[in-house]
Amino acid sequence: MTDLIFIILSLSAILSALYMVWVREPIISALSFIVTLLSLAGLFALLSASFIFLVQIIVYAGAIITLLLLIIMFLNIDDESLPKEPKKLLYMVLSAILVAPLDMALIKAVGTLPKKDMSIISNFGSVKSLGLTLFNGWLLPFELVSILLIVSLIGAIVFAKRKI
Amino acid sequence: MSALLIWIVALPFAGSLMLSILYLYHLKVKKVEEIYFSLIALLTPLISFLLTFWIFLKASDKKITFTAFKWLKVANFDIDISFLSDHLSLFMALFVSFIGWLIHIYAAGYMKGDEGYGKFFAYFNLFLGMMLLLVLANNPILMFFGWEGVGLCSYLLISYYFSDAQNVVAGNKAFIVNRVGDFGFIIGLSTLFIYIGSKGFDYASLQAHIGLVPSSMLSFIAFFLFVGAIGKSAQIPLYIWLPDAMAGPTPVSALIHAATMVTAGVYMVARFHFLYSLTPNVGEFIAVIGALSSLFAAIIATRQRDIKKILAYSTISQLGYMFVAVGLGFYASGLFHVFTHAFFKALLFMGAGAVILQLHHEQDIFHMGEMKEASKIVYWTFLVATLAISGIFPFAGFFSKDEILFGAFASGHYTIWAVELFTAGLTSYYMFRLFFTVFIAKKSSKRVEKPLILSPFVTYPLVVLAIGSVVAGFIGAPKILGGSNAIAHWFSFFGDEDIELSYTIEFGLMILNTVVALAGIYIAYKKFAGINLQNEAKIDGLIYHKFYIDEIYDALIVKNIQRLSWLIYAVFDKKFIDGTVMMIAKSFYHLGELVAVLQNGNVRFYAFSMLFGASLFFIYLMQVMG
Amino acid sequence: MMSIYSVLIVAIALFSIGIVGVISRKNIFIVYMSLELMLNAVNLMFVAFSRYFHSLDGQIISMMVIALSAAEAALFLSLVVLLYKRKGSLNVDIFNSLAQKRDNL
Repeated sequence: MTDLIFIILSLSAILSALYMVWVREPIISALSFIVTLLSLAGLFALLSASFIFLVQIIVYAGAIITLLLLIIMFLNIDDESLPKEPKKLLYMVLSAILVAPLDMALIKAVGTLPKKDMSIISNFGSVKSLGLTLFNGWLLPFELVSILLIVSLIGAIVFAKRKI
Repeated sequence: MSALLIWIVALPFAGSLMLSILYLYHLKVKKVEEIYFSLIALLTPLISFLLTFWIFLKASDKKITFTAFKWLKVANFDIDISFLSDHLSLFMALFVSFIGWLIHIYAAGYMKGDEGYGKFFAYFNLFLGMMLLLVLANNPILMFFGWEGVGLCSYLLISYYFSDAQNVVAGNKAFIVNRVGDFGFIIGLSTLFIYIGSKGFDYASLQAHIGLVPSSMLSFIAFFLFVGAIGKSAQIPLYIWLPDAMAGPTPVSALIHAATMVTAGVYMVARFHFLYSLTPNVGEFIAVIGALSSLFAAIIATRQRDIKKILAYSTISQLGYMFVAVGLGFYASGLFHVFTHAFFKALLFMGAGAVILQLHHEQDIFHMGEMKEASKIVYWTFLVATLAISGIFPFAGFFSKDEILFGAFASGHYTIWAVELFTAGLTSYYMFRLFFTVFIAKKSSKRVEKPLILSPFVTYPLVVLAIGSVVAGFIGAPKILGGSNAIAHWFSFFGDEDIELSYTIEFGLMILNTVVALAGIYIAYKKFAGINLQNEAKIDGLIYHKFYIDEIYDALIVKNIQRLSWLIYAVFDKKFIDGTVMMIAKSFYHLGELVAVLQNGNVRFYAFSMLFGASLFFIYLMQVMG
Repeated sequence: MMSIYSVLIVAIALFSIGIVGVISRKNIFIVYMSLELMLNAVNLMFVAFSRYFHSLDGQIISMMVIALSAAEAALFLSLVVLLYKRKGSLNVDIFNSLAQKRDNL
C-alpha cells in the first residue's frame, strides 16, 4: 500500500515540477508548484517525519507560495510584457544534457548504500522528540535562525519604504 | 721635460673651459668686460707656444713620449693617453701654436663688440687644444679624437652667426662631408687594427709591425686612410664644404681653413709614411687627386667674386700641391709647403678680413677698389702674401713650390708636373686679379667712402706673418742657391729619395716656374689693374657657377638620401615596425575581448557556466571511478 | 518498494529539474520557484537520510532550511517589487550592469 502511495506521490511531484518549469504564465506555474509541495509533504509523511510534514504544508505551501502569488497578482503583468523566451526548449534540452553527468554520478554514489527498511515507524518524528533534540543539541542554530528571521523582517520593511 | 707635452695640449682645453664658465656667468649673472675674455684666451696659446719652443730648443733631437694614463683596455684594444714629440709632431706643433696665437690676437681685434665674444674664444681655444692633440698624439685613436674634435670646432665656428640659417647649413655641410671622409678613415684604421692591433696600437709599434699585414690589404688600408684625408683636407670629391665654410667669421677661416685643420690630412699621410712608402700605387693615386684638385679649384677661383671664396679655392689648390708631394714620397717637400702655406694663407685671410672690416662687411671684390689708400699696412702685407703664394723669389712660396715641382719632374711624373706648373700660373693670375681689383682699381660706387680705422690687434699680426712669409722659405732653400736645405735634414728620417739631377735642369726648372708666375701676374695686370669699378661688373657662366658641382651632388646624392630616409621613416618605421609592435599589443587586447564575452552580467549565463564546469568535472570523475 | 534508493532518485530528479529551470527560464518568478524546488529536493534528501540513519538531526536541519527559505522569500519578493518598479520588466537578462564594457580600440 505504501509503495503505491509512494509511486503516486513521486510521480505527481516530478510531473508538476516539470510543468512548473515549462509553463509560461507565472500564476499557473505557482499553482503547479503548490502541487509539488503538497506531494513532497506526503513524501515526508511516508518517511515518518510527521512534524516536517505539517511544517511544510503550513509554512511552505501556505505562507511562502501564498506570498508569491500575492506579489504576482500585485504586479499585475499582462501577457505581452512577460519576457519573451523563444529558445526555451533548446536551453532546457541543453541544460538537461549537461545535468545528466551530475545525476549519473549521484545515482551511482547512492546505489552503493546498503538496503535498509524504510517503513513508517511511530514516534520517530514527533513534536516532542524533535523539540527535545532541537533545544538540547541544536540550540545555537535555533537562536541564529531566529535572528535571521528578524533580519529578513527588517530588510523587507526597509525595502518597502525605499523611495525608487 | 716630457710632462710638458701634456701641458701643451691641456692648456688650451683649460682655457676653453674657463672661458665657457666665464661666458655663462656673463650671460646669466653679470656682464663681464671683454678684456677678461681676451686675457685668458690669448694667454693659453702663448704659453703652449712657449712650452713647445722650449722643447724645440732643449730636446729637439730626442724622441720624447709621455704617457698619462691608460684610456681603454678591451681585449686587444689597448689605448693610452700618450703624447709623442718627434721631429714631425714638434714641427707641426710649433707653427700651429705660433700662428694660432697670432690669429687669436687678430680675432681679439676683429670680433670686438660682438656679443658672443666669450663664446667665440671658448670655441677657438677648444679648437687649438684639439689641433695640438691631433699632432702630438702617440696613437692613431687619440689622433682621431683630435681629428673629430677639430671637425666639431669647425662646425661650431662656421655656424657661429647662427641666426642666419644659411650659416648653419654651411656648418652642417662641413661636418657631414667630413664625416663621409671619417667613415673611410675608420674603415682603414679598423682593418689595420684587425691585422696588427694586438701587438700595440701606437705609432712605434705600428711602424715596427707593418710588415705583418698582407700586401693586398696594405693598399686597402692606405686608400681608406687617405679617404679621411680627402674629407678633412678638402680634395676632390669632398672639397665642397670648404667654400661654404667661409660663412664663418674671418679669423675662423684664417686659422681653421687655411693654416691648421686642413693640413691635418697631410700630417696624417706623413705620419703613416711607413705605410705609404710600401704602397706606391696608392701614393700615385694621392698625387693624381692632389693634382686634379689643384687644377679644378684654380680654374673655379679665376671667376669668383667673393674675396673669401677665392681664397678658399686657393686653399684647396695649394693643398693639392701638398698631396702631390707626399703622394710621390717627398714628405719633406710636402711638409715644407704646409709650413710656408700656413704663413701666407693665414696672412691672406687676415688681410681679406681687414679689408672686409674696413668696408663694413662688404665681400664682393667688384665693390671694392683703391684700398691702397685705406691702410698702408694691409696693402703691403697683402702684397707680400700674394707674391709668396705666386711663388716669386725670394718669398716663401717660391722655395716650397719649387721643391714640389722639382720632385714631380725628377721622379718622372711629367703629366702631374705639367698640370701643377699650369696651376701655378693660374694661381698667380687669380691672386693678382684679386689684388689689383681690391687695391689698385678705381673704386666702385658701391664702396664705402670712409673705410674703418683698424686696431693694432688686427694690424700687428699681419706684420709678423708678413715677415714670416718672407723668411720662412729660407729653411728649405736648396743647395744650388746657397742654402743648406735645413728642412730636408730635419725630415731625413722619412727616407725621402734624394734625386740628383744636373744643376742646369734644376736651375732651368726654377726659371720656368718664375716665368710662368710672372706671366700670370702680367695677364692679371693687363686685365684688372686699370679697370674702373664704377662700371657694374657682370660675371656669369659655367666656371662662375663652380661647374654646378654642388647642384649635381644635391640632385644625385642628397635628394636620394633624403628620399631613402623618408621611405624608411614612413614605410618601414611607421608601417612595419610600429605596425608589428602595435599588432602584438592589440592582439592581447582582442584576446581579452574574446574572454570578456564570458563576463556579460547575465546571471543565468553564470549559472550555466557553473553547470558546464560541474558536469565536465563529473564526467571526469565517472571516468576515474569507473 | 520504498527504499532509500528510490526516494533519493526522486530527490535527484527534482533537483535537476530545478537546475534546468534556473538556467533556461527568463521570468524571475519561475527562476525563484525553481530555486525553491531545489531547496525542497534537498529537504527530501535530508528527511530520507534521517529516517535511514534513524537520527533526528536530518529533520532539524530540514526545519532550518524551511525557516531560511521563508526569510529569503520575504526579501526576494520585496526586491522584485522594487526592481519591477525600476525597470518595468520581469526579464532577468536586463540586469547586466556588472558586465565587462566593450569599447572599440
